[in-house]
Amino acid sequence: MKVGFFIGCNTSFNRPDLEQAVRHAFPALGIELDDLEGQSCCPTWGTLPSVDVVGWCAVSARNHTIAEQKGLDIVTVCGSCYGSLSEAKYKMEVDPELKAKVNEVLQTIGREYKGTSNVRLTYYYLYHEIGPEKIRASLKYTLGGLKVALQPGCHTLWPSKVYYDKEEDPFHPRVLKEMVEALGATVGHYTRLIDCCGMGAMRSTDMEKSLNLFRRKILSIKEEVDPDLIITGCSSCLIQFDTAQEMLRREKKINFEIPVLHFMQALAICLGADPEKVAGLARTNVKSVIGKILPS
Amino acid sequence: MSQVQGGIGIINLSAGDPSLVNEIKELGGEELLECIQCAKCAAACPMVLAGFPFFNKRVIQAILLGLRDALLDDSSIWACQSCNRCTEVCPREVNPFEIIQAMRRVAIREFALPTLAIEGLKSLYDTGHAVYLAGAGNTRAKVGLPEKPPSTLSYPEALKEVRTILENTELAELGVIPMGESGVTDSCEV
Ligand code: SF4
Ligand code: SF4
Repeated sequence: MKVGFFIGCNTSFNRPDLEQAVRHAFPALGIELDDLEGQSCCPTWGTLPSVDVVGWCAVSARNHTIAEQKGLDIVTVCGSCYGSLSEAKYKMEVDPELKAKVNEVLQTIGREYKGTSNVRLTYYYLYHEIGPEKIRASLKYTLGGLKVALQPGCHTLWPSKVYYDKEEDPFHPRVLKEMVEALGATVGHYTRLIDCCGMGAMRSTDMEKSLNLFRRKILSIKEEVDPDLIITGCSSCLIQFDTAQEMLRREKKINFEIPVLHFMQALAICLGADPEKVAGLARTNVKSVIGKILPS
Repeated sequence: MSQVQGGIGIINLSAGDPSLVNEIKELGGEELLECIQCAKCAAACPMVLAGFPFFNKRVIQAILLGLRDALLDDSSIWACQSCNRCTEVCPREVNPFEIIQAMRRVAIREFALPTLAIEGLKSLYDTGHAVYLAGAGNTRAKVGLPEKPPSTLSYPEALKEVRTILENTELAELGVIPMGESGVTDSCEV
């Protein structure tokens, strides 16, 4: 099995330990990753999608063609890339006129968009192609004994019509829960589970409002679950949860810290990866929780 | 003339700009007129929870009233998370997120865009990445990865392709960022 790895800007430059986690976990589960050489930004929402539809879809379509030429599907670990690439594909599918305009632009670089590669998010891909049972059987270590709170992330869920892998009910997602349970953890429910974390455009526009939104969420997690670890399904959520707790503590708006990992990092560690490589850039103290996962 | 007067927000309807509706429809907000202002989208929107004055339903309402300046003077539309909760719940398939995007497209055509958006576009043109951190090579090396990902950064001909695309789309006509000269790559975090 082989799939194209779309890394995305934030994962490449901000959290390359997450990139390493994917690069460890996929081959360990028997899936070869292709580098999709020459990939660019997806492009992200605040750039071309905010300028015009054709330009947005043209840059997106160029990324798609790299995978199409190799006959591969695309997996990404970033929520924004997943959303932008999926939405552009959907738009061109339902609007042949748009697709034709995009292909006119792509002609200038000798490419043609066909729409033959599907866009998948890492853990949904593993859920469907490998399955929780097989993953459980491949683990060297488990999250046994750990209480975990989840952060699925917006772009993994909505708008459901554009995604290849769908939840039965996107307002009550269960794939991430099943996957984390496959790693052996106990998952606690909290009322603000599907609330937005405040990362992204909101944080760039108004840090204070973004942090207030995040605070509501982290307090709900602390009060209702009080977990050993938070596991996210989205790379942007990972960055918010990993950095915003420190900011709130400095402002004396919270007085605790909960370690945070992306699902792929937790999986890679359970598959025997070096924690320094796959989670070495975490700002929250993940060492103690990793100490509980690995035998001393 | 100001369309929203004083601090109490009285709307002067006759000062509204009726051309805004068509502009939005042309820039991707085709379903604008399907909206029945039911506010289901607002109930799901993180911007409401965070306290931004303009969110999906109110942006649509303001567009229908032609309140161009009120929308351009406020930064709310740039705080939209692109989360599409609104698209999911709208009973009229308005695609409220697309309307917010269309309003951003209007704003860009009036050069009313945040600095960060300009920097993101410039970075995209210069490096192929909207988010680019100059010190990232070290960070990557620290976790055992090559300093450059296998992207436009490692393949100059790929970057050239991205630039050619940008030069052949509306971005070039709008003149929001300089094009054609070799770019200086600085950090940019969108
Ligand atoms: S966009 Fe849809 S959900 Fe929002 S107010 Fe209009 S009809 Fe209702
Ligand atoms: S996409 Fe924007 S407007 Fe729609 S619910 Fe999300 S934040 Fe609100």
